[in-house]
Amino acid sequence: MRVTILDYGAGNLHSLAKALDDGTSAVRVDADPIGALSTDVLVLPGVGAFGHAASRLAPARAAIRDAIQEGLPCVGICLGMQLLFSESDEGDGAGLDVIDGRVTRLRARRVPHIGWAMIDESSDSAFTRAPLDVAYYANGFACRPTRPDVVRAWSVHENDRFPAMVRAGSAVGVQFHPEKSSRAGVAFLRALVRDAGA
Amino acid sequence: MLTRLIVCLDMRDGRVVKGVQFEGLRDVGDPVELAARYEIEGADEVVFLDISASVEGRATLLGTVRRAADVLFVPLTVGGGVRSVDDVAQVLRAGADKVSINTAAIARPALITECAERFGSQCVVASIDARKAGDRWRVWTHGGSVRTELDAIEWARECVARGAGEILLTSIDRDGARRGYDLALTRAVVDHVSVPVIASGGAGSAEHVRDAVLEGGADAVLVAGILHDGLTTVRELKDVLVRAHIPVRAVA
Repeated sequence: MRVTILDYGAGNLHSLAKALDDGTSAVRVDADPIGALSTDVLVLPGVGAFGHAASRLAPARAAIRDAIQEGLPCVGICLGMQLLFSESDEGDGAGLDVIDGRVTRLRARRVPHIGWAMIDESSDSAFTRAPLDVAYYANGFACRPTRPDVVRAWSVHENDRFPAMVRAGSAVGVQFHPEKSSRAGVAFLRALVRDAGA
Repeated sequence: MLTRLIVCLDMRDGRVVKGVQFEGLRDVGDPVELAARYEIEGADEVVFLDISASVEGRATLLGTVRRAADVLFVPLTVGGGVRSVDDVAQVLRAGADKVSINTAAIARPALITECAERFGSQCVVASIDARKAGDRWRVWTHGGSVRTELDAIEWARECVARGAGEILLTSIDRDGARRGYDLALTRAVVDHVSVPVIASGGAGSAEHVRDAVLEGGADAVLVAGILHDGLTTVRELKDVLVRAHIPVRAVA
């Protein structure tokens, strides 16, 4: 199985690539958004700011969106999850808009939300395959899907309950960083990607 | 939110060292080996603080970060000698999740803003070394050797206004002394900023760690020497936190 991490030019992809490498998948990092679509699973990584990433994706936005809507499995992590949505308060530019909704700032006194938090009400099969009840987060913003049924798990920061995981068609997003959530997180990520590409 | 226990490894020329009040260093091991061990023991994050002064030391650091990123699956923060956006990019590329910026931000505060805009606030940790001065605290730089005119609380607020996502707050008075964290300093900064504050400097026992959270209000606590010396373990520290009804990530 080919797993491709789309590099939008901000930050650490090294440990994500390492976490995805389960010994059977061919994991690569590609900075060319069109080239990255020649893959079995597309991973949108979770580092950087929305505006910067959206502008890097802009020339290929329609192509990526079409590919996902035609069934290309796509896993978005943190910012990568937020890029699946229509737009964000964090920065200008359009998201991929494969899931209806906005990304807005967390409604809390302490922002960004950095650290480990519980994952609640998980209903996705990935959690059955690889249990994960606590994960590492580093987000100042959260996704607010128009349709609540896309949400497959929740987390809470102060009094703001926000989606920990969403799934819609071939797109799946997690707000936490499974690749930074120790062994259980890595196992979860591998299960998620394996199922997506199966 | 769970209270984080962060293990700090002070590094020089690719080895972990530990000193008292930034002086008197001794070798305590290989950073990658130690980091991996602490993850297994239940550390929530790891910090590499590079105190190498030389160009060679810096190249060694990047190699160490790459090796660590291969085996470490909890967040890794790297600090020390980061002077420009390009330095930050290099460290992140090597496999760090966050970068802590100290002296360079004081020399040029815009560096924090530039890093936050490019990499996101969650990547940018403002590291502040503070020393008591009357009833306030003053900021020191260059590993606690150079005094500035900045007030620690004011500077923390400015770092946050400029985009820092966390404050790593070290009491120079307490660093390595094992008499406990500077709780008043921690509390003062926690009460004046809107981002997580990591208390650092002074852990001598599990009770000190607990007090940094209960009395200092810290979101996370940084621990180094007492773990490296085997005086306690991550598990023991977390057990004490749990008994004080402080929520933490369970050690597997």
